[in-house]
Amino acid sequence: MDKENLMSAVVQAEGLTRHFGGDGVPVRAVDGVDLTVEHGEAVSIMGPSGCGKSTLLHLLGGLERPDAGTLTLDDQRVDGLSEASWAKLRRRTIGFVFQAFHLVDELTAIENVELPALLTGTSRRAARRRAMQLLERLGVADRAGYPPDRLSGGQLQRVALARALINEPLLVLADEPTGNLDSHATNEILRLFAELRDTQQTLVLVTHDPRVGATAERLMSMRDGTIVDDTRLDGGPSRQAVLKQLAGWEA
Amino acid sequence: MNSGRLIVGLAWRNLRHRPWQALLLLFALILSTTAITVALTLTETGDRAWDRVSQDTNGFHVAASAEFPADGSSAERERVRADLAELGSAPGVVAAAGPWQTAHVDGEIDGAPIRLKLQVRDADPAAVDQPLVTAGRWLDGRQGVVLEDGLAAAARLQPGDSITIAGQHVPVRGTALTVTVNPYPTEQPPTVWISPATLTRLASALDVIGYLIELRLADPEQAQSFAAAHPEVSGTWQEQKREAATDIQDLAGSLSALAAFLVGLTIATAAILVAGRMAAQIRQVGTLKAIGVTPGQVTRVQLVEYLTVACLAAAIGLAASTLLTPPLARLTRVLSVYGAQTAPVTWPRAAIVVAVAISVVLLATVRPALRGVRRSTVHSLGSNTRRPHRAGRLIRALAGLPLPLPIGLGLRGAARRPGRFIANTFGLTIGIALVIAGLALRAGVRSFGRQGLSLNDPDPISLAATTANMDRLSTLGFTIAAFLIGLAVINAIITAVFSAQDSARNHAIERTLGATPGQTVTAFLIAHLAACLLACAIGIPLGIALYDAIRGLTLNPIELTPLTYIATTLAALLLYALIALAPARLLARRPITAQLAYE
Repeated sequence: MDKENLMSAVVQAEGLTRHFGGDGVPVRAVDGVDLTVEHGEAVSIMGPSGCGKSTLLHLLGGLERPDAGTLTLDDQRVDGLSEASWAKLRRRTIGFVFQAFHLVDELTAIENVELPALLTGTSRRAARRRAMQLLERLGVADRAGYPPDRLSGGQLQRVALARALINEPLLVLADEPTGNLDSHATNEILRLFAELRDTQQTLVLVTHDPRVGATAERLMSMRDGTIVDDTRLDGGPSRQAVLKQLAGWEA
Repeated sequence: MNSGRLIVGLAWRNLRHRPWQALLLLFALILSTTAITVALTLTETGDRAWDRVSQDTNGFHVAASAEFPADGSSAERERVRADLAELGSAPGVVAAAGPWQTAHVDGEIDGAPIRLKLQVRDADPAAVDQPLVTAGRWLDGRQGVVLEDGLAAAARLQPGDSITIAGQHVPVRGTALTVTVNPYPTEQPPTVWISPATLTRLASALDVIGYLIELRLADPEQAQSFAAAHPEVSGTWQEQKREAATDIQDLAGSLSALAAFLVGLTIATAAILVAGRMAAQIRQVGTLKAIGVTPGQVTRVQLVEYLTVACLAAAIGLAASTLLTPPLARLTRVLSVYGAQTAPVTWPRAAIVVAVAISVVLLATVRPALRGVRRSTVHSLGSNTRRPHRAGRLIRALAGLPLPLPIGLGLRGAARRPGRFIANTFGLTIGIALVIAGLALRAGVRSFGRQGLSLNDPDPISLAATTANMDRLSTLGFTIAAFLIGLAVINAIITAVFSAQDSARNHAIERTLGATPGQTVTAFLIAHLAACLLACAIGIPLGIALYDAIRGLTLNPIELTPLTYIATTLAALLLYALIALAPARLLARRPITAQLAYE
């Protein structure tokens, strides 16, 4: 990755707003968020339930449309894109990891992983090779031919991570990636995210878990749809202090 | 709250919570139960109409007749008459009427030639077979004739009109019914009752004459043995009743075949509805089990829910049949004249209809209900979808095919859920078979109408009567065809809507990975068109077979050319693609996050 890329913004959001109607009174799930994520940066977004962090992640990945504000991905204005254009952008640019894994039940682990590659037009052979490499790297190659219902939570999330990475996306968005995992599986996933951060993969993850938050180099805190704190962990207050503070908020 | 009240309460709440699904199931079941009841009731309705006319006319048990050339000797005629008259005093006979003199003669109605069979009758009521006057009055001492009701209807004659017999104008005194002869044009030539005075006036023009005596027996069931013992007997009431019932039995047979297919379609529709509903209720089932409701109680809740719908459908079907049967029965030639009243609902018939409705529901519900109940409580609470089957050879083979991604995904999705694919294909097959049968029926009726007009009708009045009858049958054929097409379309819509709901999660996941809405819609359509293609391959010949089963001996067989076959298949595929497109596109427009929210 060259220096210019490292310095440019992958995500730029200004005044990003998303309302949900509820009994006639709209709820501002995301309320005028300004956000910039640089190339190679790993950002954690933390906050209490209902603060809008998942909605913000969905807005960044085009799963939800903003009611107001602008969104730029890799210098391309995307907030007005059609559903089909978003899909095409997503397949090459964004990798998603969900709390509930969201693997396609009808496909085996390796078929799930290769699916985004096939969507970009990669040949079957190349997609299969790349998928297997990723499964090996993430330690689940021996489960490649298994359907999702025969995998453990940790294995499911590693397959989901492999699927998110297969097209070498510009940005990985992870929504509570350890929310459904036991402590052992959580540790495995944390290790993998730390590795991702070290490879300069741009990463935005939403979590309740301070340990997951600590894998990032920048921590944002959300409340009532707005970002109330944005801290770089490699400067200013110590990482431990920030995490302790966040853990208190979570509680 | 005791267990029974809890079960009924939960079942009632389920029905109220998803009323349109319950209504769709109810509607499909009502169609089946109505068709079954009408099919079961038609024959009895025909019998009752015949019995009523027979009772009102003191109907015959046996009839004996003889005919001979008009120029035969008078001694010979007298001998024949005396022989017939002797039957009136045979053992077992309790009443006799006649011998009446009969004659064949050429006539004319409104300028149209027609062959007539005259029967001389007294003004006084006969002890046997006194025709039931439906308009005007019976014969009296004056000149005049009474027309058989079928002839009067075909020729649009009323009392006060006149017809020409042997070149002479004769006034029409009335119209009447009897069971001794079937209504015109079923019976040809038509019967005209005339007074002795009128016969005298026409005597010189008669070419075939004869006598007819009608008898009532102490034991009507002995009519066949009486006929065997007396060679002069020309017909018994059983033979006449059987002949009169031919049309209605054909119609009842056709409706029975249709009802069987309707039941099949209803099972398919109900299975899809129930499976879709169970998928939506998996979490509720898990919740009930989590709070201590036993699996047996959960199953009973489902059963109470669906059995309520089945019993309601049976009741409505039985009631609807009482309204539908008479007009349907009157479409047959004999009952268009005799009239038709609904046979009352009997316990055995009600039991059959209820049993069929319950069987349909049980067939459709037991498997998904048990599957939902057997699923572990944790899984039920955690997910709203059922896991697919493991990859088999077919799926591995599909995975290896160089198909475009949306097509491959669609086919693999279908292959991983074979039960759903089979249910969809089954429903579509029955639907297509019914549509083909309906269209073939309409074409067959039209073809028969054209043929009948050219070959079968000896005179313009009969031709007009046949045309009117064809019009009625054509209307029936068209109504049935429209009804079946409508039903098949409803089934297709239900199939498409539930399949779309079922596919929602996968489509949402695929969209997060970069599949466009167009690609997910294509994958969905491919899976469904594969089912539709298979359904066409089986359903079109099945529809022709169904038509063969319901056409009876009256309508011509229909053969499909390869070109028609292909065109029909393409039309079915196109129609189904249009039907399936709407829910698939609606789904593709829904936000991804909303579709993933259940997980």
